[in-house]
Amino acid sequence: MKDAGKYVWTAIIVALLAHFAFIHAVPRVMMWVAIDRVSSEGARYNAWTFADRVTPLSRTIVRPSPDFAYSACAYDLSDGPVAITATPWDAYWSLSLYADNSDNFFVVDDREARAGAEVTLVRRGATPPDDAARVIESPTTRGIALIRRLAPDLESYNAASQVARDDVCASFGALPA
Amino acid sequence: MLRRVAAWTAAVLVGVVLGGASAWAALEIGRGNFGERYGAWSHSRATGSTAAGPYTRAIIARDGLLALSAREALYFNLTQDDQGAPLSENCSYELIGRPLNTRWWSVTLYADDSLLAQNEDHAASIDASHVSAGPDGRWRARVSTVRGDAIYWLSSRNARRDFSLTLRVYNPHRDFQASEETLPALTRLSCLGEA
Repeated sequence: MKDAGKYVWTAIIVALLAHFAFIHAVPRVMMWVAIDRVSSEGARYNAWTFADRVTPLSRTIVRPSPDFAYSACAYDLSDGPVAITATPWDAYWSLSLYADNSDNFFVVDDREARAGAEVTLVRRGATPPDDAARVIESPTTRGIALIRRLAPDLESYNAASQVARDDVCASFGALPA
Repeated sequence: MLRRVAAWTAAVLVGVVLGGASAWAALEIGRGNFGERYGAWSHSRATGSTAAGPYTRAIIARDGLLALSAREALYFNLTQDDQGAPLSENCSYELIGRPLNTRWWSVTLYADDSLLAQNEDHAASIDASHVSAGPDGRWRARVSTVRGDAIYWLSSRNARRDFSLTLRVYNPHRDFQASEETLPALTRLSCLGEA
């Protein structure tokens, strides 16, 4: 019985550690799941995927907007910088970048980039290539790039799917010289 | 010796369960009391921000992963009607709003799993490109399982209980001010079983 106190204190300390570990883990685990899905379970990094139109059957990401056409790219900077471009669209569009803790660390939209966006994504502190376009530092090695194109009806969604074919998400070294 | 190992193991397990349960409870409570409130709408300017605290980040990740930061878009969530009751497909509501000082906005209905309600009504969302205000400067949308005579409609069919509405405000103008007066208001019209 005299040992009961140390077990209680152990349980309390472990509970506190588990509490904060859980809170910190939630966004990371959710992002890992999202990165896994977008990258086709790790088989397809640094490539855009044009998402099916958002319908009640869409289960990949919570709270999707049915008014947007989404293109997603799970990026991986393990092998160096990644080049990302977004082709312009005649209504609202934006390119946003998310770290693996879910932080939205970069966004550009059509107001700032009427002719489309072109960025070179590098790991924080890494030296960018000499001929890199606008350099953005990612706080984490992996994450998600997302393009939203306003397309509230089927006709505009289909048009967005054509435009999205010109988007680029590729390892910098794999780009044609 | 064996008893002592069992006691330590039990203490650690109890701690892990308590820690996990308290974290989950904190997120549930935080979800219901999230950020700023404008009437029935809740909103957090920390959404998507690199400055978001761990609790905010965890709540957002559960309910709105890949949200944009407030610089680009504002998200407002509504989970209760004008009488403080959770939203239910057994009830009909009217959403009344004025044009917002923003480039584009939408209101989308989500079931309690934060996904679109499982129906084929093609009425999960209304948005600024399709909604226009009447002579009194307001637009009106019905939130119900059937459209009836409504011009604008958000279908709650199969949304069950505890569904929610999300208002997205993209590229808000500099003079955009969120308030109970400027954001749309939801009024409960009737519920099944009511006289």
